[in-house]
Amino acid sequence: MMFEPFVDVVPSFFGWLNQGPLTLTIFLHTVIILPMFWIYKQEKARIEREG
Amino acid sequence: MAKRSVWSDNRFWQRSAAWVTGFASILLIWLTFDTSAQISMGTDADLQNGVTKRVPAPTVINYKITYEMDTVRGHEVPVIGEKEMFFGRDDWSEEEAAELLHLGKLGSQSKNCMNCHTLLGNGAYYAPDLTKAWLDPAWGPEGSLQSMTGKSSKEEAMAEFLQHPSQYPTHARMMPDLGITAEEAQGLVAFLKHMSSIDTNGFPRNFGKIKGAVHGK
Repeated sequence: MMFEPFVDVVPSFFGWLNQGPLTLTIFLHTVIILPMFWIYKQEKARIEREG
Repeated sequence: MAKRSVWSDNRFWQRSAAWVTGFASILLIWLTFDTSAQISMGTDADLQNGVTKRVPAPTVINYKITYEMDTVRGHEVPVIGEKEMFFGRDDWSEEEAAELLHLGKLGSQSKNCMNCHTLLGNGAYYAPDLTKAWLDPAWGPEGSLQSMTGKSSKEEAMAEFLQHPSQYPTHARMMPDLGITAEEAQGLVAFLKHMSSIDTNGFPRNFGKIKGAVHGK
């Protein structure tokens, strides 16, 4: 089954998030890697402007 | 002029590092508070009302602790059962139980149990894992360790062993005499019984496979 009911003893956001290794990986990539694309684009635009 | 690459640009790496470090710091602070909810101890009222807490109140020493397989979670989970005698009583008050547990915790630290044993994942594997030692059937009514000490209950047998470990042949690597007093031994056994009632997400992984560890089966 792709989705299992949340059965943790004390419910929490991270308990829900970290039900399997993939959910945490997707979350961390979303919040860490995606902003880096944004930083990359900003810096590229700046270099082109200055250069 | 040669085209400058973003990859060799300092500012890109500085901003990326600042973002990753900043985000990780916030995440870790959040996790700290998130964890405190998970590990906060329950109360005696929780036990009486059947409220499940990952770490039950110290008065859990008044109850029988067993485990049962939870197929959804995929491992054994603790079940707090009916009342059970602990050193001849099943009416340890919240204060008494907390004091006994505290004595046991201090004892476990001063005697450095973790130097050889593992408690809740911390410590060594020179000697047996003590996380669920209370459930070890060897200390039960028909267990070899209980009969070895000549005592008639699990807690008395464990307390007796702790006071004179070097007298009893248990393991190829025998436990040394640590000068544990009768009172400290009682505290340590309470500490172990309480520890066995903590929901550790099925840790240690193999204890449920030990014959007799789950519902005496």
